[in-house]
Parts: sequence; C-alpha cells; structure tokens
Amino acid sequence: MKSAWPLFLAWKQLFPSQRKVSFFSLLAIVGVALGVNVMIVVVAFMQGFQQKFRSDIIDAQGHARAVPLQRQLEWREDSQKIASQPEVEKVSAYMQGHLLLQNRDYHAVPFSMGIDPGQSDGVLPLNQFLKKGFIPVQGYDSKDVTPIPTTDSLEDDVVFITQQVANRLGVRAATVLLLDDQNFSINKGRLVVERLDPYVESDEWTIEFLSGDQYNLRNSLGSIDLNGSLEQIASDLGWGYPKFKLVEGITPLSKGDRFRFQTFRSSILEIYSPTMIEQAKSDEMAPPREVRVGGIFEVPWQGFHTDALIGTSRFMADMRGEENACDGFFIKFKTDYLHDENKLGELCARLEGYLEGNWRIIPWFVENAWFFDLLKFEEYLMVLIMIPIGLVAAFAIAIALMTTVLRKTREIGLLVAMGGTRFAVGMIFCMQGFIIGSLGALLGCGLALTFIRYRDVLMSFIVTRIAGEDGQAGVTQFYDFYSLEVPYPWESEQSMMTFLTFIVFAVGVSTIAGLLPAWRAARMNPAEALRSE
Amino acid sequence: MSNQEQDTVLEARGLSKSFSIVGAADLKVLNEVNLTLKESSSLSIRGDSGCGKTTLLNVIARLEPADKGTLFWGDRKIDAVSKPLATEASWRAKHIGVVYQSYYLIPELTVLENVLMSVRLSGLPITEYELRARELLEQMGVGNKSMQIPSKLSGGERQRVAIARALVNRPQVILADEPTGNLDERTGAEVMNLLLSSCTKEKTSLILVTHNPSFAQATDKTTSLKDGTLIYE
Repeated sequence: MKSAWPLFLAWKQLFPSQRKVSFFSLLAIVGVALGVNVMIVVVAFMQGFQQKFRSDIIDAQGHARAVPLQRQLEWREDSQKIASQPEVEKVSAYMQGHLLLQNRDYHAVPFSMGIDPGQSDGVLPLNQFLKKGFIPVQGYDSKDVTPIPTTDSLEDDVVFITQQVANRLGVRAATVLLLDDQNFSINKGRLVVERLDPYVESDEWTIEFLSGDQYNLRNSLGSIDLNGSLEQIASDLGWGYPKFKLVEGITPLSKGDRFRFQTFRSSILEIYSPTMIEQAKSDEMAPPREVRVGGIFEVPWQGFHTDALIGTSRFMADMRGEENACDGFFIKFKTDYLHDENKLGELCARLEGYLEGNWRIIPWFVENAWFFDLLKFEEYLMVLIMIPIGLVAAFAIAIALMTTVLRKTREIGLLVAMGGTRFAVGMIFCMQGFIIGSLGALLGCGLALTFIRYRDVLMSFIVTRIAGEDGQAGVTQFYDFYSLEVPYPWESEQSMMTFLTFIVFAVGVSTIAGLLPAWRAARMNPAEALRSE
Repeated sequence: MSNQEQDTVLEARGLSKSFSIVGAADLKVLNEVNLTLKESSSLSIRGDSGCGKTTLLNVIARLEPADKGTLFWGDRKIDAVSKPLATEASWRAKHIGVVYQSYYLIPELTVLENVLMSVRLSGLPITEYELRARELLEQMGVGNKSMQIPSKLSGGERQRVAIARALVNRPQVILADEPTGNLDERTGAEVMNLLLSSCTKEKTSLILVTHNPSFAQATDKTTSLKDGTLIYE
C-alpha cells in the first residue's frame, strides 16, 4: 500500500509509538471537539426551542385561525362545515376586542376574548393555562389549598385574566387557606377543598371530628352549623360554598381533630366596553359590568397577549352590544398535520375554497412567521458567531502543524531522500489535520449527545449557579428548557443534518488548516532540508 | 553492451554544480565529475569539509539538480540538470538506500517501524519484509531493541538501525554520508565494519563519504574530491 505511508506517518506523529497520545494531538482534538460540541448543542437547542414554540403556539391558538373577510351572520353553518371535514378535529368560535377593566383606581385594557367554554378545551387547553397561571399564597401558619380553577366555573359574569392583568389591577381569584395545619400528623386523614367557585364569600370554615362518623361543620358568619356524618357534611352545599372532601389517612381521626379553612372571595372587576364609553361621552348612563375573577391563567406561548381576558361568548356579545357576532374560529386538525407545514398550508387553502372565499384560513406558521423568521435569524446568527470558534481551532492546528514542519525539516528531507514524493510528504501534514478534525468531530458529537442526554441536569446546574434557585423559575418562564424536546440524530432528520453539517465543517476546516503546512513541507528542497540545523 | 557495462549500477558523466554566493563569485563544487560504480562494489570519497562530497551524493541521488552532466541509474539515463521527477522518487525508494551522519530516525516510530519505513516508501508488502527487518536488526546487534523508540538508543545503535533501514528493501546502491561522523572511534569502526560486511553480504554497492582514511581504504576504490574534481587514488 504505497499511498498509505503518509497516513501511517501522520497517525504516528499524532499518536507516537510507546506513548498513548501526544500533548499537541490531545489539545488539538479537544479544541475541535469543544467547538463542534458547542455548535451542535447551540443549534440543537435552538431547534428544540423552535419545536417547543411550535407546540406552544398550537396549544395557544390551534393549528389555524379562520377570519371572516366580512361580517358573517351564518357563521354557525360555516363552523359546522369546517368541523365536518375529515381532517378537522375541533372548531371553536371566538369573539375578541378590547375592554377597560377597573379595580378601585387601577385600570387595564387587556385583549379580551369570548369563547364557548364547552367547545374551547378541544382547541385551547384553557384548563392547562389556568394550572400554569396558578400561584399559591405563601403563608406562615397556613397553606394555600385552593383547587386550581377550571373552565367549569366560566360563566357570563366570571372572567379569567392573565397574571399581568391581575398584578396590574391587584386582584385575584377566590382563595382558600388551611389554617393550623403545621402540627397535624401527616398520617391522619385530612379534608381538602374540592371546589371553590368564584361566588364563595370570605369566611372561616371549621370541620371538627366529633366521634364515630359524626362531624361538625360551621362557618364564622354563622350561616352554616351542621352536625352529621361525613357524607352529609362533606357533600356539596351548592354554588357559593366551598366543597370539601375527605382524604383517608393511615391513622383515623380522633375526637377534637379539626380543620380550619379561611376563604377569600374572588375580586370583582368593573368592565367598560368601547360602546359604554361612547355612551358615557353622550351623557348616557352606562354603568359598568361587574364580573368576578374566576381564575388567573398563563399562556406558555410568549407571543400570546400578556394582557388578556377570557370570558364567555355571551359576555363578549353583551359587552359589544352585538348579537350573533363571531370574529373567527380556532381550528385544530388531526395529528397528521402537526409537523407537515406544506400539507397544512394546502389544507387551509382547500378549506378557504370550500367556504367559498368568505373566510381566510391562516395556519399557525403563517400567523407567526415573524417569530420563526426571528428564531431562524437568531440560529443563523449564533452559527455565524460560532464559526470563528471552529476557525480559531483551525488556526491553532495550522500553527502547530507549521511548527511541526519546521521542527521536522530534516525528517522531511530524509523522507524525500528515501523515495517519498514531495506531494506525499505534504500529505502527511494534511492528513494530520484530517485526523484531528475527524477525531475532534467524533468526540464533539459524543459530547453533544451527552449534553443532549443530560441537558436538564446540566442546564439546571448552570442556571442555578448563575441565577440562583429563585432565578431559575424566572429563566424557565421564558426558556422552559425542562420541557424542550431536543432530538437525537437518529430520531430526527433535522438533527442528523445538524450533526453531519458540523462534522463536515470540522473535518473540512481542520484538513484545510493542514494544507498550508503541507504546502510548506512539499515545496521544501530536500537537499537543503537535510543540510538544515 | 559488454559484461563490464552490464555490471554498472551507477554512472555519472561530467557532473558540474556551483552555488551562487551573494557578493562573490559562484562557488564551483563539482567540476566535470565522472564516477562509475559496479555491482557489489564500494567506492569511498574523501575530501575537506565543504568540498562538495555531500552535494555529489545529493546530485547522484537526484535530490538536487546539477548544472551539467548525465546520470545513469542502471540502464536508465537521466539528465542531471533537469528538475527531479516524482517517478525518480519511486525508483530511488526501491534502488537507493541512504545513511547519514545524523541518523535521521523518526522519533515517533519504534526501531522496527523505522526500518520498515523504507519498505513502506517503496510500496513493498510490510508483512513480507518484517522478518527481514528483524534479521537485519539482529545482524546489526540491535535485535533486542526493535520495539524501543530511537531516543532510548545510543548513537552507535541508532546508526546501526539507520544502516538496517537502508538495506532492508535490498537496494542496488547505498549512499553513506559520513556515517561514523558522530561516533567515537571504536563504535565508528564497529559500525563501518557492519556497513561494509552487510553490503558485501547483500551484494549492495556502496558510495561512502568519509574523512577517515582507514575506512576509505576498506572500500574497493578510493577517491578524493578536490577543487570539484574527483581524483581516483
């Protein structure tokens, strides 16, 4: 194998006999590996964020939104038409607008949306948003045991608002605290609040175990004082009262065991619509609409309105003074259309035709194109910034190899004297660049796979060290890396392409880095090289 | 061709070479040098330092072009003035072995790997030549050092390895440029004896550049290079 000797010598110069590895080789390979690792990890995470934002957007607004090109009185028929399509999973109509909210002297004008709570959960996971937006009250001698609100409590005089709106207005939803709980045995059964509707008044509730199966339930207002079996007193007292439930423990309750709950009523907001404001300008009486805060929600998609209110469609229709109005539909398609944007675009266009051009169907990726363009730009920018990392490694390799060429001048002369061609001698150094690049790329890929595998642990470690335990929550609010899906190359074509791209880049740049020393070695005059000191 | 001509493995005719020196006249180191080397014969070249002995070897090995003259590598006629070609490198790898004063062993390779480098460069199969390489190392008295790296060897041992490397792929000619220059007298004598006996045994021709008259006397022909001219003694 005549052509193989430059490769043999290149390998031996990097990994000499009788030694495990040379210091130069180790540094060069680790340098390339770190560069490759950083580039892959950053791009993989950027792609992971893009994927997460995709699913957040779809959660927040469905796969597509239908917007009427003019006022559609027959929108219910159109909604049914869309829903009847085999590709469509769910359609939810909505109304939207801006309303003025007031609590004492605090005001907010959130983006307001009216939906049918019965239909919304199919497209918008409102219950998930309410869970995400729930912030328990921290108390020294009490514990917030408020059940997370659900769309079941969304009525015409109940609204859900985002955390930002709640904070601005200083309002909150109904809350219940369990008092005097700290010394209670954890083995005993306990009473929990199963439901706390927006109409519950501020009150103190006590449930005391008497004996046998007898309990006493009373409130501080004195309107309730019941004795009876657990089933009787724990049963639903009706709307406006908390609903209690017993969770059995290992140790039975003993006489005198009691549970004290403090309920706080939900805040009441005064709401004005633009119509009301116009009426007020004309000196007409326009009393505000009073609604209760039924829950605080948080939409994971940061592009969603941070100042938002969700009420029922009837509420919005009343506020706008319009009957039978619809501002559009949220549409959710079947899973086949989740990842294929082209297919989804074609389907939306087909639906537009089916609705005789009266509706514009906007897929999620078109509606949020600005955001993904921005993310893509950020990804490219990151790559652009990181490319110099690879080039720095290449320069380091070139300089080290150039030094090797100078150090090995007489050996180069000898190899030519022994019958090596100048080209083959040059190849020794070019191949060293290739070997460093290949091994560095492999090691870099290994590091990147390890990073992807243990990303939660590593990110948590890094973020905690930088931002602290409390800061971590703030960071995850914007970059919820714990829920990132960063695919391995064997799981996604995009990930495979990322890995391959950076492998080729690292190997290419390292090989090119070896070209200059190779050229220098190849043009060396062997006779002069042998004479050199 | 006569029988005498058939035995010639190397011939130089009218080789001339001079070097430009800034601010001075050109330095003529070879002036119409003629040299003939027969098969299995040896020839020594003596001369003062800087007289052109190494240059003559370089020109013969086609490591640098001459200003004038012709070379014959066996039947192959070469214009010594032309730039060395890649094909000549291939021929050199198979037919010429080199031994230098400074050994020039590759520090990253073991002794055995160093010896086998000649085989690799010639494109010959390593497995077939490994046994021969080991035998040569045994002959040179460094058989037990085959897996050592050169830095662990003494100067004499290194030169023995270099001789084994020059001989391993059975070249027609060995060009030895002051092979004992870095060795003490006793070691130098041992190494020189090994080189001469090995060349005889392997039927390899030898051109030996040396300052040592007794080593020179041990060759079949002795010459000296003076004022660019090769004088047969």
